[in-house]
Amino acid sequence: MEIIKNYFIVENKRWIIVSLLIAFFLLLPIVILFIKLFSDPGKNFFYLWNTVLIDYTFNTFYLILITSLFTLLFGLFPAWIISNYRFIGRNFYDLVLFLPLAIPSYIMGFTYIDILSFTGPIQSFLRNNFPWLASYFNIDYLQIETLGVLLGLALYPYVYTAARVAFSLLGSNYIDLSKSLGLSTIKSFYKIILPLSRPAIFSGLFLVFMEVLNEYGAVKYFGINTYTTGIFKAWFSLGDIGTAIQLSCLLLLVVFFFFVLEKISSSKTNFFYETNSPVQKLLYVNKDKLFLFHLVCSIPFILGFFIPLIFIVNNVFQTYSSIDFVRLFTLSFNTIFVSSLSSFIIIIVALFFLFIEKISKTKINTIISHLISLGYAIPGAVIGLGLIMLFSNIIDSFFSVSLIGSFYVLIYAYVIRFLAVGKSPIKSSLEKHPESYDDTGKNLGLGPFKLLQKIHLPINKFALISAFILTFIDIMKELPITLILRPFNFDTLATQTYEFAIEEMLPLSSAYSLSIIIIGSMLLLFLKNVINKQLNVS
Amino acid sequence: MYLEVKNLVKYYNKELPIIRKLEFSVKKGEIISFLGESGSGKTTFLKCIAGLEKIHSGSILLNNVALNDKGIFVKPQDRKIGFVFQDYPLFPHLNLEENIVFNLDKKYHKNLGYILTLTGLKYFVSRYPHELSGGEQQRTCVARALIREPELLLLDEPFSNLDSAIKQSMREEIYKIIKETNTTTILVTHDINDSLNIADKILIFKAGIVQQYDKPEKMYCEPANCYCAMILGDMNKLFIGSKTYYVRPEKVEVVKKSNHKIKVEKCFFQGREYRIKGRYKNEIWYFFSKKSINENEEVFIDFKKMDLIYFDPVCKNFFK
Repeated sequence: MEIIKNYFIVENKRWIIVSLLIAFFLLLPIVILFIKLFSDPGKNFFYLWNTVLIDYTFNTFYLILITSLFTLLFGLFPAWIISNYRFIGRNFYDLVLFLPLAIPSYIMGFTYIDILSFTGPIQSFLRNNFPWLASYFNIDYLQIETLGVLLGLALYPYVYTAARVAFSLLGSNYIDLSKSLGLSTIKSFYKIILPLSRPAIFSGLFLVFMEVLNEYGAVKYFGINTYTTGIFKAWFSLGDIGTAIQLSCLLLLVVFFFFVLEKISSSKTNFFYETNSPVQKLLYVNKDKLFLFHLVCSIPFILGFFIPLIFIVNNVFQTYSSIDFVRLFTLSFNTIFVSSLSSFIIIIVALFFLFIEKISKTKINTIISHLISLGYAIPGAVIGLGLIMLFSNIIDSFFSVSLIGSFYVLIYAYVIRFLAVGKSPIKSSLEKHPESYDDTGKNLGLGPFKLLQKIHLPINKFALISAFILTFIDIMKELPITLILRPFNFDTLATQTYEFAIEEMLPLSSAYSLSIIIIGSMLLLFLKNVINKQLNVS
Repeated sequence: MYLEVKNLVKYYNKELPIIRKLEFSVKKGEIISFLGESGSGKTTFLKCIAGLEKIHSGSILLNNVALNDKGIFVKPQDRKIGFVFQDYPLFPHLNLEENIVFNLDKKYHKNLGYILTLTGLKYFVSRYPHELSGGEQQRTCVARALIREPELLLLDEPFSNLDSAIKQSMREEIYKIIKETNTTTILVTHDINDSLNIADKILIFKAGIVQQYDKPEKMYCEPANCYCAMILGDMNKLFIGSKTYYVRPEKVEVVKKSNHKIKVEKCFFQGREYRIKGRYKNEIWYFFSKKSINENEEVFIDFKKMDLIYFDPVCKNFFK
């Protein structure tokens, strides 16, 4: 019998120390940016301030506003219909409405601009059949408003998924109560359901904000100046790293602002869901509403997935003879390799932190666990800049040259950026299991490692698979970090798609885009299957 | 003594200790019921004994070995204590047998057949937790704890998740198993019927301290204070002179003539007899009658002087 001769021991000390060390490395690049901000002010900042900074700020917020409106439009109404009504096609919509997640927003942008262009199918059709109408469509589509709509199409699944879960969980009592108080279905939705679901919807919207702030490929293609494009411009065009750092820190302040908003909103979530009642039974749809429901559910899918997919597939057929299959295979392998390896590391790190947080029950671990999740809110360009600062200033120059542009740094950046994506499903799964599992395990003689190995790994396996898939898809689509930190002569499907598109060779990029969409869609469909299995088990 | 707890103190907030100063001892093979309201710190106490929660001062000795004392803390996995949690936490990825033998030392594998027979689970060994009823899950948790031949068994509200139809039979089964294995047991509950049915001794816990620790009969008939009296059953209040006395409903009899007349407010049919609610000198009284009594009817009641219980006048306000 081991007797510990000290009352005030901290349990699982070694695990906590290792978690502190890993957290230090995950937060280091951001800390370095702030240190550099105060030690080495950029020369061109005042020039930027007097010229483009207001433009950057306005564009960034305006783009967020338009995108948010359209993600709400495309996400909320289908979520409400699918959560509450039973009709033919419901299961199909439920399966496909989140498929736009498989299409990176820059591919959405490139594709639609090609579709809407003078030589694209729409204007060509109008010129041939309705020449009087064609001139009205011959406008410049490379506008911030168009980009907002397209980002809305690419990102609405975040709002759809959050709202879908919230609407399903709300339960029947609230709806029955509001009906008994004389509210119509529409009034119940606006006065009861929306306010109750607000925290969940806002958490989905928060992800949309972060994606827009992080967006580089589509924004650059549309020629719109936002903070992210500004960082690239200051860094690569002006060669002024100091200004890039200042812009990054300003961007972090914007992120922090949204983060605080999200925290304020989500702090009320527990209150809202504590009084939940049995899940709402699905209602049958009247014939007169059926057409409207199909319209509402199909538009986001058709515009957000089906049309871009068909267009890209068509492009692939058109350019079939010029596809370099060896390169396509190599880049697919590169993409799958780097995404799998990074996702695997992310899952291990995420599980490690969440497990330490669970068993240590110390405040420091909870704070650390929150801090390392902030990486998802930090745009890839900022993380890339932070890492280059770290390796070029702190570490010996010989090592820094060999490290920057290596797989290690690329994966390091992915871990910082996407750790929160991997953590989220594992966290909710761990929280679902009662604390008495841990107590029982300890009581039956298990130490922390065996507790993880024998209990938490097997009972959370579906969550681990979900986390892996979500992280994999995000890394596969990722652009700014990969562009900045990829090893020399190393391309992925995402970087190749971007490079062809930015050089106005969109048809040639289609084979690479299609590969991303096929891999992403297959994984998302598999994920849906995993989630269904998980629901059956619990 | 087999288990000795001395001056145990536990708090989350130093100003409001959840256990102020707990002191009691248990003999080998005894079943002790730890009775208290929800949120009074009963589960925390069990976790302290099991080593799942740290104590702030005091000592715990089990079978002459110090588990907690000045500078001594034995890890939960090294204490020979079986713990049956309130929510029957069976691992969902393991079947019944795998749950019972989970992380089991080889020397205890020989007990498997005996434990399965004792708990009546031998036909369910390959079932998974979601395929078991509440009672079967509970017996599996008990079997998992007992197969390790624990020196002490801790049961945390083991019957609270069962419906009343099977609660009584489960209580009897668990009692039989514990007595057959002669396992020293602490049963934590908020249900007085659990305590009265299977405990050798009852410990009433309130405001972080022991209110009374005694045999069930003595506790029922001679409660230490009005809280202990109230928690063990209804009490009717009676003023004689300037003093307040209490009498148990079952000590009250319906008689043809007496000095005590009561107006009946409600008559509840309870199978063998009727439970009567009435008003006596502006106080609500309960008693039992073999016959039904109409509402608003006035009847005479009586009781023996020796059945009257007296408490200090401050007692009735003490816990408000």
